[in-house]
Amino acid sequence: MPETTQFGGDEYTDERALKPNTILINRYRVLGTLGGGGQGHVYQCRDLNFPDAKRLVAIKEMHYPGDPSMRTSTMATFQREANILATLAHPAIPKIFDFFDQNNRAYLVMEYINGNDLEELLTKTRELPMDKILEWAIDLCDVLYYLHNHQPEPIIFRDIKPANIMVDSLGKVRLIDFGIAKIFVSGVKNTMIGTEGYSAPEQYKGDVNPLSDIYSLGATLHHVISRKDPRLEPPFSFNERTLKEFNEGTPPGLQEVLNKALEMEPASRFQTALEMKEALAGIRYGAKPTGLTGVVSNDGKTGMVQTDLFGGVGAIEPRWKFKTEDEIRGGPSAFRDLAFVGSYDTNVWAINRETGEFKWKYATNGGIAVTPVVDESNRLVMFGSEDHTFTALDFASGRISWSYTTNDRIRSTARVAHDHVFFGSDDGRVYALVAGNGRYLWEYDMGAPVRSQPYVTRDLIIVGAENGEVIGLELSGQRKWSLRTRRGVTAAPYVDEVEGICYVGSFDGYMYAVDASTGYSMWRFRTSGPIISAAAPVRDLVVFGSADGNVYGVNAESAKEKWRFNAEQPIVSSPVIRDENIYIGGTDGNLYCLEAKTGKEIWRFQTENSITAAPYIIDNMILVGSMDRTLYALPLVD
Amino acid sequence: MDLFRRLFGKSDEDVPVNESVAPMRDSVPSKKPEAQADDSSDTMEVQSTNDTTDSADSTHAQSAEDLTTDDAEDRDTGELPSEESADFSPLDPVTRPVGPPPPRGRASVADGVTQPLNADSLTARKTEHLAFGQASDVGMVRNNNQDSAISFFFTSHSVEEYPDFGVFIVADGMGGHHDGEKASAVTTRILASSLTNDIYVPMLTSASDADRIPLTEALIKGVKNANDEVLRLVPDGGTTVTAVALIGDLAHIVHVGDSRAYLVTAEGIDQITRDHSLVQRLIELGQLTPEEAEVHPQKNVLYRALGQNESLEVDTSIRRLPPNSRVLICSDGLWGQVEEEELYEISMNSMDPQQACDKLVALANTRGGVDNITAIVLKIS
Repeated sequence: MPETTQFGGDEYTDERALKPNTILINRYRVLGTLGGGGQGHVYQCRDLNFPDAKRLVAIKEMHYPGDPSMRTSTMATFQREANILATLAHPAIPKIFDFFDQNNRAYLVMEYINGNDLEELLTKTRELPMDKILEWAIDLCDVLYYLHNHQPEPIIFRDIKPANIMVDSLGKVRLIDFGIAKIFVSGVKNTMIGTEGYSAPEQYKGDVNPLSDIYSLGATLHHVISRKDPRLEPPFSFNERTLKEFNEGTPPGLQEVLNKALEMEPASRFQTALEMKEALAGIRYGAKPTGLTGVVSNDGKTGMVQTDLFGGVGAIEPRWKFKTEDEIRGGPSAFRDLAFVGSYDTNVWAINRETGEFKWKYATNGGIAVTPVVDESNRLVMFGSEDHTFTALDFASGRISWSYTTNDRIRSTARVAHDHVFFGSDDGRVYALVAGNGRYLWEYDMGAPVRSQPYVTRDLIIVGAENGEVIGLELSGQRKWSLRTRRGVTAAPYVDEVEGICYVGSFDGYMYAVDASTGYSMWRFRTSGPIISAAAPVRDLVVFGSADGNVYGVNAESAKEKWRFNAEQPIVSSPVIRDENIYIGGTDGNLYCLEAKTGKEIWRFQTENSITAAPYIIDNMILVGSMDRTLYALPLVD
Repeated sequence: MDLFRRLFGKSDEDVPVNESVAPMRDSVPSKKPEAQADDSSDTMEVQSTNDTTDSADSTHAQSAEDLTTDDAEDRDTGELPSEESADFSPLDPVTRPVGPPPPRGRASVADGVTQPLNADSLTARKTEHLAFGQASDVGMVRNNNQDSAISFFFTSHSVEEYPDFGVFIVADGMGGHHDGEKASAVTTRILASSLTNDIYVPMLTSASDADRIPLTEALIKGVKNANDEVLRLVPDGGTTVTAVALIGDLAHIVHVGDSRAYLVTAEGIDQITRDHSLVQRLIELGQLTPEEAEVHPQKNVLYRALGQNESLEVDTSIRRLPPNSRVLICSDGLWGQVEEEELYEISMNSMDPQQACDKLVALANTRGGVDNITAIVLKIS
C-alpha cells in the first residue's frame, strides 16, 4: 500500500498551491493560502475590480481529473452546481460571487469569512459555552431547513462536520464547504486510516437525502459537546458514548435529541430540520421539547423502574422463614427434604424445606461462619466451626459421624470431591480428609489463614489464603503452581472446567483469570473494592460482586466489562445462576435477581440485615440466609 | 497416574500410621465409580499418547532428539513407510497433494525451531509440541512489501516444566515513502521485545509467578508501546497488528486493524479477530451485506490502526487450542484473495506449516497478488 491518506489527507503539497501575487482571470490577486485539501487549496484573494476598497474574497480551487472524458462531465456538473449555489441567500451561507475555470482547475469565488471553524475552536479551547453551542445548533438547523426546502429540488449539504462550520467575528455560524467538492473526489484505492466520522450510514450505500444531513449535524454536535472525535472511534458508535460521561454540563434532554438525530434508520430521525430546531430551542430557551414523542427520559440508573413496579418487600412472599438465635453468615444448602444452615449461635440447623419446620440441630462450641456442605454418597453434612473442629453429621438424624480438630478457627467452607473433603483453617493449612470416615490424608501449609473455599477439578485443588497466594495442589497435596495477588484471597476460586480457566478474586480488587493447569495469569479485571465473591459463568460472561457495591458481568475472553449493576452497598456474597438469571445477595440486605444478558434488575427481596453468602437453589425454591438471623425460602419466580 | 496413586502418592511418612489406613486405601478406588472412571480415562490418555510417540514421557523439548530421529525416520519412510508413520501423517510423499509452487526468490521463509529441515524431507514428523511456518511476499503488483512478521517459539524440557511459549505477529503497514514498511517493522519488533521483557525473561529468571503481569495485559502494553513508537518514529505511517502469544495450549490474541487470526479445527475455520474496517462495521450494523462490502469503494478504510492517535483501543481474546488444530495469522493480501474454504483446506491438510504458508502465498499470487501477502501457520499436534 504505497500511500496513506489520513483524514482526507494532504497529498497535494504546497508546491502545487498558487504563489502569492498570482492573479487569476485578471481580477483576483492571491494574498495567501487559507487551507488545503485533497482536491486543491482555498486562497484568500483581493478583488482588483474594487481598487479603492480592500475587498477580500475566498477562492476555492478544485483540480479537474486528468482523464479527458471525466473532465468534461465534471466540468458540466461543477457549472450546474455552482449556478445553484450562486442563487442561495441565507445569513449562514457565504455568498457565491463567481466561478470560472483556469489551467484545468475550477474556481469558486466566495465571501471571505473572518473567523475560526469549529474544528479549530475545539483544539484552541478547553470548553465552549453550552448556550453558544445550542444557539449555533439552532442556526444550523435553520440553514439546513432552508437548503432542504430549496425549489425546484432540495439541496443536500452532504458533509456537515466541524471543519465545515465557521464561527465568524460576530459569533455567528456559517456553512463553508458545500458538497460541490465531492464531484472532484475519485474512489479510494489505498488502505486509509480514519473514516469521515460524521456521515450517515446510508451515505455509504450512495443514498444521500436530507435526513443524512440531520445525522451529520447530530454527529457534529456530539463531537463538539463530548469532545470525542468520531473519526477516532468506531463508526456509528455515538450511542456508546453518552454526553454526560464527557461533559457534565450537558443539559437534560439534549442526549435524547442527539439520539434521535443519530438513529441508524433515517425514518427514526427528526423528519425535518425544523423539528430538530424546535427540540433544541426547547432545551436552550426552556420551551417544551417537541418531536420527542416516545423518548423516555432515563438518567442512566438501571433497573429503578422495575424495582418500583415489582420489587420491595411484599412483592415476593417467602414460603417460610426460619429464625435462628444469631447471625447467619454462611450460606444454606439442601439435600432430599432438608435444608441446612449454620448460625453464629453455634448450631447447624436442619429444617424441613417444604414446611419450614425444625428437624434437628447440632451444637458446636463456637459460632459457625461457613456453609454446611452435603456429601450425598455418604449421606453426611459437613462444616467447620470457630471451635477449630470440622464435623460430619448424618444428614437425617444430625448425629455425629466423625470430627477432626485443627489448630485454629475454621472459616473456610469445605468442598467434597473424589470421595474426599477439602477445607482450610485459620491455622494456615489446607486439609484433605477421607469423606466417609474423616481419616487424615494430608495437609498443606499456606503460611496464612485459609478462609477461601477450595475448588476441586479432576486433578487439582485450587485455594486461596489471606497472604494473597492462590495455589494449585495436586490431589496428592503437592504444590503444582501458585499465583500471588497483592492482598488476601478469601474468595472461592471457580474453574471453568471446559476451558480450563480458573477465576479468583482478591482483596486487592482484581478478578484474576488464570490457566487452571499452570496458574499462568491470562488477565485481571479491576474493581474499586475487595472481591470476596466467587465468580460464576453465564453465557460468555463471568459474573461476580465487589465490595465497591457493583455486580460485574465481564467477558471471559476479552476481560471487557459488559455491564455492571450498582447495589450501592458492598457485595460480598457469591452469585448463583439459574436459567440465565443471576441471584446474588448484598450487604444492603437485598437478594437481587438480575438478567444475565444485561445486568438489569428483575426483582429484589429485602431482608433485615446483610446477606453475606450465596443463596441455594433447589427445585423451585431459593434458600437465602441473612445476618438478620433468618433463613428465607422464596419461590423461584421469573 | 491413577487417582489412587495421586491421592496417596506422597511418601509413607506423610501418612499417619493408623490401623484404618490400609483397608481404606484399598476401598477408595474400588468403591467409587467416579474414581474408576477417572482412572480409566487417564489410562486411555496415556495409551493414545503412546500411539503417537515413541517416548510417552518426554513431552517437551525434544528438538535435539527430533532432529536426529527424524533424519533416520525420513530415510526409513522413504523406502518403506511404516504403519505408524502413515497413521500420524496421512500425507506421505506419494499421495501428497501438489499445490502451486512457492514463488521463487520472493517468499522470505522463516522456519520454526522445531523444523530446520527442508520441508520436503519431513514426512514422518512426530512432535508433541507446536510447529510453525511463516511466509511473506510482496505480491504481483506492489513495489515493496509493507508487511512485517515475527515468529518466536520457546520449548524446553526440565524438571521445572516450563510450558511452551511463543509469539507470532503479523503487521500490515500503510503510508508512502517507505513509511508503511517502517511502521509495521517497528510494531512487530517493539511488541516482540515488550513480550520478551514482560513474560519470557521473568519466566526464565524467576521462580515466582508474581513478577509476571497477565499475558493479556502484556499484549495490550506491547501494542501501546508499538503505537507510541510508530507515532514517534514514523509519524506519517500506520499499521495493523494481529498477534498470538501462546503459553502452553492457551492462545492470547491481540488485534488492531484488518489483518486476521483464524482458528482451524476439524470442525472448520473460525475467524477469531474482527476487522476494524468501515465496511465490517456497516455489515455488523446491518447496513451492508458481505457481498456489497467486497466491492465497496471504501472497503480499505480502517477506523482503527497503530500510528493514528495516542490513545488506542486494542481487542484481545483467549482461545484454548484443541489437539490437531491450526492457527492462521495473515494480512489482507491473503484473506482478500483466498476463500475461507481454501484457507481451511491448505492450513489443515498441508504436510507441514511451512508448506501451508508457502502454498497460501502462492495461491494469493495466482489470484493476482494485488497486495502484500503474509501468513503464519501454527500447527498444534
